[in-house]
Amino acid sequence: MAKIEVKHVARIEGHAGIEVEIERRKVKQVKVNIPEGPRLFETLVLGKTPEEAVSIVPRICAICSVSHRLASITALERAFEIKVPIATKLLRDLMHYGEMIESHSLHIFLLALPDYLGYPNAIAMTDKYTDQVLRGLRLKKFGNRIMEITSARYTHGENPNIGGFYRWPSRNELLEIKNEAERLLADGIETVELMRNLHYPTSMEEGLMFMCLNPLTETYGFTGDSVLISNGEERPVDDYLKLTNERVVAHSTAKRCRYNGKPYIVGPLARMNLLGERLHGKAAEAFKRCYSLTWVRNPLYANQARAIEILFCLEDIPKLIDKLLTTTPPEIKEPTKKSGKAAGAVEAPRGTLYHYYEVARGYVRNANFVIPTTQNLDAIERHIQVAAENLLKTGEINKNEIELLLEMVVRSYDPCVSCSAHFVNLRIKTNDNK
Amino acid sequence: MRENTEITSKPLVGFYNFSGCSGCLLTILNCEDDLLDIFAAGEVVSFLMANRGNIEKNLDIAFIDGSVTTKDQQEFLLDLRSRTKKLVALGTCACYGGLQAMETGKSSFASRYQRVYGKTGPTIVQAFESKPLDAFVKVDYYQPGCPIDGKQFLFTYSRLVRDLPADPPLAKVPVCTECKWHENECLLLKDKLCLGPITAAGCNARCPSNNTGCVGCFGPADEQNLTSEINLLKSKKFPLETIERKLRIFGGTRFAAILGQLKKH
Repeated sequence: MAKIEVKHVARIEGHAGIEVEIERRKVKQVKVNIPEGPRLFETLVLGKTPEEAVSIVPRICAICSVSHRLASITALERAFEIKVPIATKLLRDLMHYGEMIESHSLHIFLLALPDYLGYPNAIAMTDKYTDQVLRGLRLKKFGNRIMEITSARYTHGENPNIGGFYRWPSRNELLEIKNEAERLLADGIETVELMRNLHYPTSMEEGLMFMCLNPLTETYGFTGDSVLISNGEERPVDDYLKLTNERVVAHSTAKRCRYNGKPYIVGPLARMNLLGERLHGKAAEAFKRCYSLTWVRNPLYANQARAIEILFCLEDIPKLIDKLLTTTPPEIKEPTKKSGKAAGAVEAPRGTLYHYYEVARGYVRNANFVIPTTQNLDAIERHIQVAAENLLKTGEINKNEIELLLEMVVRSYDPCVSCSAHFVNLRIKTNDNK
Repeated sequence: MRENTEITSKPLVGFYNFSGCSGCLLTILNCEDDLLDIFAAGEVVSFLMANRGNIEKNLDIAFIDGSVTTKDQQEFLLDLRSRTKKLVALGTCACYGGLQAMETGKSSFASRYQRVYGKTGPTIVQAFESKPLDAFVKVDYYQPGCPIDGKQFLFTYSRLVRDLPADPPLAKVPVCTECKWHENECLLLKDKLCLGPITAAGCNARCPSNNTGCVGCFGPADEQNLTSEINLLKSKKFPLETIERKLRIFGGTRFAAILGQLKKH
């Protein structure tokens, strides 16, 4: 009996494992094991005030902490029927862009690129690819700086809450962000070119369904009240339970999702497939250069989608700040209502993130969170299965190559295992009694 | 290259993550200006979040983010301790059990677990109530924060790789110390609930500097007077229930014990 085993999927957030059982050169079963230690966040917010809940939920995951905060604020403001001024929305968008730039550049340069260039980590690439590594760090630092100015810290900043921001950034801080975005635009374009020119393996290709939020304006964006589905449907965020259909499986502390009984994909690839045509300017040019129908079948192209999203943010930030500078800084508005229930969603870097709250007499009574990685896990398993089947068909099994490719498939989704419960070990088991 | 330097070989360093949000390890990756130096000053042999092909062997320094919530983590921690010279608890989860320990001694873990996963939950882990690292092993240094502060990490790291003592300088004193350096107007004087007087400094007094009360995310300061804080907040008409709830959120196992004592009186 042969056994191929990779214990831990590296360069992802949290811990996860992959198990592929093979019998007579056929894939018998694929499991993405998630033994992450549960923290039971849905229960931790019970009995808390809504403002306390907003402070607790970002701790589900550091890398998407801003998205968790925004999703909770969105849901709770809907529950309390609070309408915030346009200035508040713009500042939230700016903060959201900061997270996108940070998270995507972390993924591209530190987590994904080493696979494509043949290194164990990004630091080891520095001698030969100095410019690329430094460019990645520059972009990443800029994303963090935006979050520091808007949210008060790189991670888990407490400045934004229901009704607005406790402190409004100064004019100089906003101008600093604007100038830096303009300065880094060239880095954004270079990053797209870097990702476009990599070699992308094809053995996992299979077309799956996509979902993302439909931005309220007819532009590209990361917020909305309804969900676009690649089968042509559009459903309100309130239908999130019917869209995601969470279920518990034995091999994972992360739950699993399907729509109409089928796996689906959320995240940058879904957004580009569904909204890419809405891009403008340099990001639109980049999209035209990069996009092909392969993007519907190959999850690895999410890396190019991330690069285009970084460029979109860099290009949009100066316009956004120009608008912000003409507005009067609004005071934070405390909710007048004490009870209500609603769902709210935002696009986290990894995909659609749903939060749901029921509040009665000032305290949270029920909560639910549906996480992008949870939604992607069935699609990840499916793409691993297709890859394993195709690689077995092509003949000799090269253990190291298969392991690397399957890990690359997992990594391309940029799974955030802390979010989904947390954790992935990659274990390939072959029970091949030839 | 190294003949004329004092350091004959680089210390072997590992970075690990248990149950948490990975924010403390992310904070290390967020030291963009110093990242190359961090990897140059130590021989990083294990850092799953950033490196493929990690090696588990004897270490000079292990940094651990997250609390212990499963049997597998508990066993791995014991193994790690047995082969590590200096073990550093990174962040409020590793130091005090974290947010996920806020219900300790208050409600049953089993009922919370069932509420999230239903009656037939996952079988892949044996999970239990969140515990800090020192519930199982000796911890050499505590670096609190949710998440830790990058500059404080660089202080600890640069001292540890030279085998120098590395207690974070600000964890003894409360947030008020840093808040005063910023010359902020005290929020408690404006009758706003602030946990600054009892919470470890090191965050640069971020929340009070943003007009919002300290939420206590760095956990208890060494030099703090909890009874005095509680009496102060009570005198400002905050109900004990509210005070206790706020203290529990990040106070983890430490405040849970103290709050139990207080109720008896």
